[in-house]
Amino acid sequence: MRKRKGEVMSRMWNYSRPTVPWRLLAATLTILLTAACSQQPASESSGSSAAASVKVVPAGQDTSGFLQDYSKLEPHPTIEGAETYENPDPLNDLNDYIAMIVDPVEVYVASDGDPASISDEGLEAVTGYFQYAITSAVADAFPIVDEPNPLALRLRSALVGVDTGEGAAAGETSEETGEALTRSINVSEVIVEFELVDSESGEVIAAAVDTAKLGSGAEVGTTHFSRMERFEEAKLAFDEWASRLREFLDAEHEIEGAPEEERTRESYQPYGPS
Amino acid sequence: MIRVLGLCVGLLLGSGLGLAEKAVDATFYGYVDSDVCARVMLGPVTDSRIKCSTDTAKKGSPPVVVRGADNAVFSVKNKKTVKKMVGDFAKISGATKVKSGSIKISSAESVELSAIPADAAEVNLMDVRNYRTSGDRVYEQVRHTLAMMPYISYFDFISFALVGDEVILTGWTVRITNRQEAYRRVKQIEGVSHVTNNIDVLPMGSMDMQIRAQAGARLGRMLSQYFWGNGSDIKIIVKNGDIILLGTVTRQGDSDIANIQCNTVPGAFHVFNLLRVVPPQKKG
Repeated sequence: MRKRKGEVMSRMWNYSRPTVPWRLLAATLTILLTAACSQQPASESSGSSAAASVKVVPAGQDTSGFLQDYSKLEPHPTIEGAETYENPDPLNDLNDYIAMIVDPVEVYVASDGDPASISDEGLEAVTGYFQYAITSAVADAFPIVDEPNPLALRLRSALVGVDTGEGAAAGETSEETGEALTRSINVSEVIVEFELVDSESGEVIAAAVDTAKLGSGAEVGTTHFSRMERFEEAKLAFDEWASRLREFLDAEHEIEGAPEEERTRESYQPYGPS
Repeated sequence: MIRVLGLCVGLLLGSGLGLAEKAVDATFYGYVDSDVCARVMLGPVTDSRIKCSTDTAKKGSPPVVVRGADNAVFSVKNKKTVKKMVGDFAKISGATKVKSGSIKISSAESVELSAIPADAAEVNLMDVRNYRTSGDRVYEQVRHTLAMMPYISYFDFISFALVGDEVILTGWTVRITNRQEAYRRVKQIEGVSHVTNNIDVLPMGSMDMQIRAQAGARLGRMLSQYFWGNGSDIKIIVKNGDIILLGTVTRQGDSDIANIQCNTVPGAFHVFNLLRVVPPQKKG
């Protein structure tokens, strides 16, 4: 005998009444909230320490080894302190890419430095903020995607020459939180390296080493008030490095040379009344 | 438990509403167009525009409403209300969101052009004599400014119309910066008093990205003469699985090749081939 629809529904409801619908609803809302929250501050949290690692610049070498090739870098004509490279092959032209994947920021300490002395909090603050800064600087020109594609670049970046800053005396604690203070991270001598590679083939499309010392006096990685001011200075330095990366990308996209200008102008034939 | 859920729902709605634009009820005269033609065929409603509207609507381009007073394009939430009116003038009422370019229509009725009051702003925009075109100083300056924008790729198409001293920008772009930059640059041109920005920022979903990559690679290989350094004569617009081909080619055969190549791109729903064939001697 066929049961009426209402009867079946009523039984289902009675059977599962205690928790299931609420759990389902709560789980759905949690997923939605998580998704909503994860989209808010771009990728402020995406470069967390879980993904970041600390490496050491090899002893006796001038470079960190982060870039695949340093030999083709040349001083940039307009960005002082930056050495850059752009792949000259028309098949690997920077202008052919329209989107970007931003990798977690890597950190290199000087060859005589101790990676273990860098606190997790400091590392998370440094890499997280820098990734947020570079994502914010490029996203309107290169929409951020998460899957490799022939039209998407992968942006790799590294902070090279990170040092440990002022040490806290044994037992010293934060006035605000009471937590033990760790050694801060000093970014005074940091240089920044970027590499843009094809997200599918890994071919280098462009690279840059920014030697501008923008982080003078800036430290990161403690809750102590006096050091908070230095963290603000570090944020300004990160913003400036990110802005110089954008400047480099803008310069590479300028239309240059009379023939190219002419052809571009000629090709621009708007539809509509003529 | 219920309180927690209530809080969650509140947070969710609150965050959504905080960002959402408030709808404004409005009634206006407009033209019911297809999404494709509304962003390409700016200006007066001519026979060729009506043909473009009806042809592309039949092929699946969704209907949109173009407000007569300023040519602002509104995507329609309840499409059925105007689906059969594409190619007609209409009196439209509904809740509009100007910034996001959308409308929820409450009523729509077809009208004859003669039914629109002669002194209404809508009439001004529908009269071809009010449009400034090629050869005009301001027109050429706007054209040059838009052509020289640095981040325009062959996946972007930006067009414009000049009515009196007002510029209407339209088209599609994959980069938000192009929408903002076009507005900023054109607004600075001497002789331009007002800019309406109808440039649509395209979705960057992985399926559309795959279609872009495939279509770009095929056309770049088969019709390489139309692609160079920073520019191209052919523009490939991909929106929600649809491919819109724009620009100029010199032979009908090249237009056909582009059409065939794009029609075989996996995942593409429709191809709207709006390429113009311009023999070389007539170009420019």
